[in-house]
Amino acid sequence: MLSAVVVSALATGSFYTLVALGFALIYGVTRNFNLAHGELLVLAGYTAYWLWKTWALPFVFTFPVAIVASMAVCLALQRLFARLSEPLELNSIVFSFGIAILIQNAMRLCFSGNYRLIRIPTLNHGAGFNALPVSYGQLTLLGLSLGAIALLYLFMYHTYPGKALRATIQNREAAALAGINVAAMGILAFAIGGFFIGLAGPLFGCIHYLYPATGPEATLLAVTLTIFAGVGRLGGIILAGWLLALAESITVLYIGSSWREMIPAALLLGLLALKPRGIFSDDGR
Amino acid sequence: MGMFARRVQNLRPGYRFSCFCAAAGFMLLAAAVCPTRAGSLKIGEISPLSGRLAKQGLEIDRGIQVAIDMANRRGGVSGRKIVLLSRDDQSRPGVAISRAEELCSLKKVVALTGGYVDALVGPIAAVAQKYRVPYVASASLQKELAQHRNRYFFRVSRLRGFIEPLCGSLTEQFKPRRLAVLYAATPGATELAQDLRSCLATRNIRVAMLEKFRPGTPDFTPLILKLAAQKIDVVVSAGFTPDHMLMVRQFKEHHFSPKAYIGPFGIASRRFVAAMGPNAEYLYGTCAWNPGITMPGTEAASKTFIRQFSERYQHAPNTTNMHGYTSAMALIAAMRSVAAAGLPLTGNHIRDALSRLDMVLPMEHLAFDAHGNPLHYHHVVVQIQHGRLVPVFPPGRAAAAAIFPAPAWGKR
Repeated sequence: MLSAVVVSALATGSFYTLVALGFALIYGVTRNFNLAHGELLVLAGYTAYWLWKTWALPFVFTFPVAIVASMAVCLALQRLFARLSEPLELNSIVFSFGIAILIQNAMRLCFSGNYRLIRIPTLNHGAGFNALPVSYGQLTLLGLSLGAIALLYLFMYHTYPGKALRATIQNREAAALAGINVAAMGILAFAIGGFFIGLAGPLFGCIHYLYPATGPEATLLAVTLTIFAGVGRLGGIILAGWLLALAESITVLYIGSSWREMIPAALLLGLLALKPRGIFSDDGR
Repeated sequence: MGMFARRVQNLRPGYRFSCFCAAAGFMLLAAAVCPTRAGSLKIGEISPLSGRLAKQGLEIDRGIQVAIDMANRRGGVSGRKIVLLSRDDQSRPGVAISRAEELCSLKKVVALTGGYVDALVGPIAAVAQKYRVPYVASASLQKELAQHRNRYFFRVSRLRGFIEPLCGSLTEQFKPRRLAVLYAATPGATELAQDLRSCLATRNIRVAMLEKFRPGTPDFTPLILKLAAQKIDVVVSAGFTPDHMLMVRQFKEHHFSPKAYIGPFGIASRRFVAAMGPNAEYLYGTCAWNPGITMPGTEAASKTFIRQFSERYQHAPNTTNMHGYTSAMALIAAMRSVAAAGLPLTGNHIRDALSRLDMVLPMEHLAFDAHGNPLHYHHVVVQIQHGRLVPVFPPGRAAAAAIFPAPAWGKR
């Protein structure tokens, strides 16, 4: 039973990671606290749903379209975020809150208030490992999140724009002094953030469900993981996602489902008391 | 303001006169088209039209709109047109209070209706009481809400309407060996779980597992593994539509096949069946009404409602629409009886008429007790068979036998 719980928690944690990655990157680079992140994710999910349902497009092919659409929306949003003045965090919260309401209502108008589901029966089937109960859906989540993190790692550590992004995350002013175009880094961060949102959106519609008001839950999850891992610690997000999901699952299994949120929240608070800049931060070292 | 006045004064007299005429004409036109014109009756509706509960709120709203349309087509209330002032509480209690205050104090509505879930209905009921405006809530369950001696509060639904058929079907039909009751962490679902357990205890059925979960939980795996480990054969899950969607899919993923899965909320709808596809088969839900499931003797009224609704919204109504419709119909009937008695349409007179109300509607035989609770609100247990909602309990309203036990996932 424990092995099944661990596998499922890893898959859920991977799902959390995919949800949080775009937010963490955009916030890390631009300090724009995008409260509309969840809505963008649900919008990407609806895009995939629309393609799958109306045009009978195979689920796999909905990803590229959702990714391109999300990148376009994120780049358009970046133009608006770039016009905000200091204090950037506060202004971006207020601004993105308005955007979130706007997107939510637009989705309600376009897709109605019904719960939508992208039904891919194959993903619910077991993958055939007798010793380890794992479904194709869980394997997909694990594979995609690990793949996304690996891609991001390669980009951030082995390309010049990636290194420039890391420098901007670490110190915006110093990066600018070193000749890095921080404004361009903001655009790049939104584009990559859009890529991850477009990747997570269709999965959200398939693993979870789509509803115009589900966005804030995804945003909250993204914010929690970003703080948990430490701002700018993109690699730590997957570990934070797994840790959170494991804490939740083990709590349900051994203590009871009514404690599912309490124990991980206490754990999060405790860890943050010890490492206030996030569990994977250097804390000033 | 001063600047505006100075600009007006600076206009040439001819222009000034033209502006005055245009403004006066505009105001006359506005008065002519304004829905709150004298002679009409204003009813207020407060429902969650946006936010987390928007789907259900919009459904309530549509049911109410259809009831008002139908009443106006039949002459309104003694020839006076009924005007519905709809307000969105954004699924937030604070907003619900301010909307209720606005409708009662500024718009002077004669009555209120609408509302979905007790967290939103409760604050509206308190404001209605303050202004002595009768309020017929469209969807409210908690017992506590009707225990405050609020004489202006009425509702068309109550928790007992769920408990009796659930308890009955579990006792007489399913006879579980090991029963689990899972419930969402909301006041209504919690109360349902507790009341169901109490009812079952009186009939010697023990709940082997009682677990609470947060609505919107993305992973039910640990809970499902616990169900399997405890050899649960019947599951009652008082969650909502999305919880059922996730839970049932994860049941399948983990090959957990209970003999019956019953979701009192959120399963008995055609949209759920459409969204879930074949995975919805054999699931049980409860409903007070659905197209084809109506109070005996109200088939014609039910068909009229379905026709009117479908003409207006291009889709068939569901049970939530019917709750909105029923609450508005109760108000309209009460107002008509006040008008027929030659009394003024005041809050107190409408409230008294509601207390005496006795009418048969497609969803229920509607009459209220001293607390404003409906006396005859009863759900039927339905099972999804071949993509259709089929009543299976109580026997008097069953259209077919329940397929019990449900086949295991591998044998479907």
